[in-house]
Amino acid sequence: MVIRHIKRLKNRISLIVRRIFKKKKDIKIGLYGPVNSGKTTLANRICLDWLGEELGKVSNIPHETREIQMKKVDMKVNGKSLSFNLVDTPGIATKIDFENFLRYGLKRKEAKQRAKEATRGVIEAIKWLDNMDLVLVVLDSTKNPVNQVNITILGNLDAREIPLIIVANKIDLKKSDVMRIREAFPGYDVIGISAKTGAMINELYKLILKKL
Amino acid sequence: MLRIKFLPYEKAKKEDIKGMLNDLKSGMIIVIDAKLPAEEEAKIIEETMKIVSEKFPGIELSSIEISHSKSETTLDKIKEVIIEKLSGKKRGLTIIGPAKIIRKIEKNPEELLLYT
Repeated sequence: MVIRHIKRLKNRISLIVRRIFKKKKDIKIGLYGPVNSGKTTLANRICLDWLGEELGKVSNIPHETREIQMKKVDMKVNGKSLSFNLVDTPGIATKIDFENFLRYGLKRKEAKQRAKEATRGVIEAIKWLDNMDLVLVVLDSTKNPVNQVNITILGNLDAREIPLIIVANKIDLKKSDVMRIREAFPGYDVIGISAKTGAMINELYKLILKKL
Repeated sequence: MLRIKFLPYEKAKKEDIKGMLNDLKSGMIIVIDAKLPAEEEAKIIEETMKIVSEKFPGIELSSIEISHSKSETTLDKIKEVIIEKLSGKKRGLTIIGPAKIIRKIEKNPEELLLYT
């Protein structure tokens, strides 16, 4: 118990020290969320808007992003500018069933390799949490948001006192329900967007600038 | 045959995650009489990922926090908060099970529904 409190205090002090001495250019904005919520689609949207090129490959097969991907972005909205490193992380999951990949037509060997890489990706994503200055928690707004992965991500960000925005993605889809996310996680900034079509993306940019 | 291990939070805290994962690998479901802190949940996910294999694809984990009931007096609530702060134990329930056995755990704010 005492050890945990000391550890927490140590984390808090190191966070404050990092924030004080961190140069503006070192800011890291992380994209976190469950698998297939559209993190890389959002990363690509941001990179296309500000750099003119995409960050990573997108696919319907779960765990397409299995490594941390990072790109430097210079954003300017309404006369305000911000330079940051955009960090796209693999989706967090509690299980990785390689047989699921077979259903998407992957060969056995490929599926096994993908599962192995995906497990490493989840570990990396969790480890990188401590490096973030702001996290965009990307959720699929067509799905029930009350699941353990989402709660664990939010709980860990709260415990580390890392500012966050919940991005309710896929508002272009009929089943999208942003209100359900707002009701599930009251007290957080929630914004509905479509990373695919770009709907409401400018509002997200404004919110990012407001948070940092 | 379904095997369920009920662990008091104090014991779960002492037991290392690897020990818990060995139980889960052997097909056991673990029930803890408290809500685990988010950092511990993340640690469990991290350690689970290290041992994922064909036979053990991972876990299903879910926890609920039980809020104070309206009938509780302010003094009871204060007592509870102090106990929580001192022991780190949050009122609630945590269920962890092997993904091969537990298909999903449905959660609404104060209930957990297990599908095998």
